[in-house]
This record gives sequence, structure tokens and C-alpha cells, in this order.
Amino acid sequence: MRAKMDYPNINTKKPDGMKPDGSAYRVLIVDDSMFVAKQISQILTSEGFEIIGTAKDGLEGLEKYKELHPNVDLVTMDITMPNMDGVTCLQKIIEFDPEAVIIMISALGKQELVKQSLLSGAKNYIVKPLDRIKVLERITSVLKGT
Amino acid sequence: MRVEYINPFVEAAFNVLKEVLNTEIKRGELYLKSTSQPVLGVATIIGLAGDVEGRVLLDMSHETALKIASEMNMEELTELDELGKATITELANMITGQAVTKLHEIGFRFDLTPPSIVTGRDMVISDSGVEALIVPIELTQGKIEINVAVKEKA
Repeated sequence: MRAKMDYPNINTKKPDGMKPDGSAYRVLIVDDSMFVAKQISQILTSEGFEIIGTAKDGLEGLEKYKELHPNVDLVTMDITMPNMDGVTCLQKIIEFDPEAVIIMISALGKQELVKQSLLSGAKNYIVKPLDRIKVLERITSVLKGT
Repeated sequence: MRVEYINPFVEAAFNVLKEVLNTEIKRGELYLKSTSQPVLGVATIIGLAGDVEGRVLLDMSHETALKIASEMNMEELTELDELGKATITELANMITGQAVTKLHEIGFRFDLTPPSIVTGRDMVISDSGVEALIVPIELTQGKIEINVAVKEKA
């Protein structure tokens, strides 16, 4: 029989949502789909991220960002939204805070808008359907790079 | 209507459904309808405008919609509430997004409208001057019909 100690302890891994100082990364989710917002939120909270705000469109996203600044470490930004689309919202946030860390969430078929977003200052993008591994990989690589 | 238009939607539906539902999928026989037709109960409609014009309908029963939304949310939904509808809408978004990428690659240019979802009993949809191609897809959760009615812009 093998003792428990023979197995690697998976719990020693630091959760992805934790900063080097041990506090949680704070995330603002901007998405008009309740389903997608919930999905992102579940994936991130399970890894220790803190969701400090959600917004249903670009206009609300911009307002929330300004209100929460400088306490937002990361924004996930949907592209197609009513009132103000994600690309415009991204540009306005970057205008307000050039240091903002924003990741675009895109459906397939929006390559042009994704390209435009990256040129406007988005740090990365994730294409739907979202899965846990893809989301965490992209987000962690962006946060480590900053 | 040319079959080229519907194939990308069927392929995309296959890919997306397989990825989000982890289930076995069977494609039924394609059929054509030229007049008004009943819809199954939960219909998500996306409009197309550009080189081709028309609409795509993702059609399923209320029960199937609930099962799919529950599976995608990893929790049992008992009614098709705001979250349930947002889930089905997102499913339609992912499918059309992928299909449109394929159609763009082969040279068609058009835009999509945001999806609208309609629910109810005994609904009938009529498309004037264009016939609809329908491909039923069988899942463990029930049947989804991909219903595409488009024509090339004159």
C-alpha cells in the first residue's frame, strides 16, 4: 500500500486568481449575455479571482471602470453589445487609463474587430465557446506579462 | 435556395453542440419547405443582410431548450427564465458566428443581426418569396432544427 505522501499534492498549487502578495486579482466583467457573464464569473471565482463588478453594455462598463478605478486588475470585454460596443468601450477605457488590462471575449467571425481591439490596446482575446482551461490560460498569461 | 448556404450552419452546429454539450449528435435528413411552417416552441432568429439576405432559425421544443440550457449552465433549470434564454441565445450566437466565418472564407459578405428569441405554442413562421432548408439534429436532449431561408441579393 502506498502512503498518501507518495501522491503529488494538487492543493499546493497557488490559485491562478491570486497575486504574488496573496490578494485576489479584481475583475470587471462587461458582457450583455447573462449566460456568458455567469460562465466567466464561475471559472474565475473557482480560481480565487474576485469579481468586483459586472456591466451589461459598454456604457455601463465604462462607468463602472471609472468608478472602480484604480481597483480593477482586469476587464473581460464582450464585443457585440447594445448601447456601446466592446471596441468603443475598450478605447474609452484606455483613453481614461492607458494602463488598463483588458481581454476581449469574441464570437467567431469577428476577426476584424478583434484585430482592431488589439491595435487599440486590448492585451489578448478569447473566442467563444469558453472553456475553463482556455480562459484561465489566456488570463494568466496576460496577468503574468504585466 | 442553394445547399451551400446551409452546410456551414449544420457543420457549425455540430462543432458547437459537441463542444458545449458533450453528447452524441445525429444528423437527420435535410428537407425543404416553401410555405408557412410551424415552429417547435423556442425559436432563436438571426437575420442576415449583405450579399445574401434572409434568416437562420434555431428551433427546438421548450423541453429540449430547458435541458440544453441546464446542461450548459451545469445546473438544473426548471423554467426558461432570463438565464435560460440568454443561454439559448448564446448557443445560437456561437453557431452562427462559426458558420459565418466559413461563409466569409468562401467569399460571401454579409452582416448578422443580434439574435431574438421567441417562445410560445402554435407558432408559425412565414418567409415571403424564399424557401427554407431544414436540417434536424438529434441530441440526447431532444431535437434541434437548423432552419435557413436565404436568397442572393438581386
